[in-house]
Amino acid sequence: MSTVLTIDNLYKHFPIAGSKQVVQAINGVSLTIEPGETLGLVGESGSGKTTVGRCIVGLIEPSAGTIHFRDADLALRQRHKRELAGKIQLVFQEPNESLDPRRKIGDTISEPLLPLRLDRETRRRRTADALRLVRLQPDLLDAYPSELSSGQQQRVGIARAMVTEPELVVLDEPTSALDPTARAEIIDLLRRIQSERHTAYLFISHDLSTVRFISHRVAVMYLGMIVEQGSAETVFNRPQHPYSSGLLSSVMLPHPHLKIESSVSLKGEIPSPINLPKGCFLASRCPFVIDRCRHEMPPAETVGERHTVHCFRHKDVAASVPASDTFNVFMKEAERILGRTVPSGVKPSLHQPTT
Amino acid sequence: MDAVETMNKARSAPADTGKTPLIDIRNLRVTFPSGGAAPKTVLKGIDLAVKSGEIVGLVGESGAGKTTLARSILGVPPGPGRIAGGEVHFEGRQILSLSEAEFRRLRGRRLSVVVPNPRAELNPLLRTGDQIASMAKIHLGVNGKEARRLALQMLRDVQIPDPERRMDAYPHELSGGMAQRVVIAMALICNPAFVISDDATSGLDVTVQAQILALLTKLVAEQGSAMLFITRDVGITAHFCDRIAVLFSGEIVELAPREALFLEPAHPYTLMLLASFSHSPRLRDSWSVPDTSRRRELAAGCQYADRCPIAQPVCRERRPPFAENGPGHFARCHFPVRHG
Repeated sequence: MSTVLTIDNLYKHFPIAGSKQVVQAINGVSLTIEPGETLGLVGESGSGKTTVGRCIVGLIEPSAGTIHFRDADLALRQRHKRELAGKIQLVFQEPNESLDPRRKIGDTISEPLLPLRLDRETRRRRTADALRLVRLQPDLLDAYPSELSSGQQQRVGIARAMVTEPELVVLDEPTSALDPTARAEIIDLLRRIQSERHTAYLFISHDLSTVRFISHRVAVMYLGMIVEQGSAETVFNRPQHPYSSGLLSSVMLPHPHLKIESSVSLKGEIPSPINLPKGCFLASRCPFVIDRCRHEMPPAETVGERHTVHCFRHKDVAASVPASDTFNVFMKEAERILGRTVPSGVKPSLHQPTT
Repeated sequence: MDAVETMNKARSAPADTGKTPLIDIRNLRVTFPSGGAAPKTVLKGIDLAVKSGEIVGLVGESGAGKTTLARSILGVPPGPGRIAGGEVHFEGRQILSLSEAEFRRLRGRRLSVVVPNPRAELNPLLRTGDQIASMAKIHLGVNGKEARRLALQMLRDVQIPDPERRMDAYPHELSGGMAQRVVIAMALICNPAFVISDDATSGLDVTVQAQILALLTKLVAEQGSAMLFITRDVGITAHFCDRIAVLFSGEIVELAPREALFLEPAHPYTLMLLASFSHSPRLRDSWSVPDTSRRRELAAGCQYADRCPIAQPVCRERRPPFAENGPGHFARCHFPVRHG
């Protein structure tokens, strides 16, 4: 099957009212997503992650560059309206704010089906299927959002996206507003749906630990650029861009002895996207900086299979710390600590998951 | 040297153990009115003591009562909440019985809080420097010039870039990370003995968060104060707190030194929390039951019984004791998990 999404050299500049200046939100983003693949898009606030997602779903018009969904140029969205209907869907961050409080869950979920011109019976069946897909009880069709927990609300948000059987879902921080347990359930759910339906995901998040376990590939954004992208394993285990490395070193795993080694400690603040520095945007914060970085933007260099980096010194960065798969070490540790335990006084009667 | 290392260096000065606690919360109960029915108890008897130089983490999910606890310690429970019982001993006094005027002299000066959402906390019409200086003027009784000097020094201590210029900045001119530093500066300018950080780093980006945590640790160590660090992010507490209390449904269900909590967790709720961070579906299946039914409050028994995979009949009948399972390691469970 062909590539689901191809973004080529995307730019988005927002004008500032009453000024000639612009906010340079996206500065030359290129990426591809294959069928059934999850691309994790990570970066700090203001890095342009959400803007990329919004350009894909058509909420924002790019300033330059192209986005193709399969062979359809999304700049000509109107011309491809029929074939695109329901193929690209969006899931929002705040489940309670993205649901209409006065609308029943069933109506919310079935709404995206309206443009597909299906008959009533098919709509009803697809809505019920979507509800089942996200493991919500059928009687919730008549419930209002306020009657649901935030984890259940986010399941509704996912059901609403999945009801049209999309090929690509943009998930914009879908778990950030949730408690740890609800977050873990949503991640499991998304993985299961993907394995059943082969849906491609763009998973936008600042939670690196979640991204590590849900993504096949990952793209690290800084000031509107993808500074590094590659397989999740390669980028997380041996980052080649100083920013990827610094970002990873800030992760605090719930284990007192486990920490991701890095030679980069990011100090100071992100430069303003209104006055972007000349040369590499990280130069003012980067311990690997050389004179050239301050004058010249490092080009994208291919350093492995579908692995690109924008850094003159990527070899030095990669060699600065030994590669390590700390996230998996943590998972193994957790399994050792939590898996060997036997409740005292009673025979272990651990819950068996129902399928 | 990176932020976390700085943090650990600063922490290496050991807390002076054995001393009487700086703050001692005893059987604190807070209720909320609920229409005509009996008031709802949101804090069900909290016992927690913090010593000078110590950072105690308080973790829990939304609705567990974290913010209610923070505000009740300061004598101002949120909304219609009411302190229904219990005591808070601080510097030799039971502060919950103080008059409002006496409490006001304590709050901000000896006891202070760093809140999340710093932009909402700052007055948008006042310059940063004036807001910080006003804390010193009110509580330390210094004149305007001295207050501004202290404010500028505080901005330096919180490592705001270009502090002289930021003194004259309005809150909207600050980034989120800088606004959070300003709020920390306001909380610490009077050199408080006890600081409550209520989810103060959750809105920040990870790289900024690491810097702010290092800063809080350093300031607490330098000033010899103590801190209650409230957060949803269990991961932070593993690297940053001396002891950790796990709050569930208005009760502390487990309290342990850092190593013990993460390496030998005893309460099934703690195990479930850690399992949900592990990204191991197998572990989660063992330690959680699906959240299908509405949660209910149990009149007697363990609050966690309905969600506990190892609950026995006794758990629904009798409230478990807060029993010690190891040195300083307590869990409110009839069947605490044993390791090894």
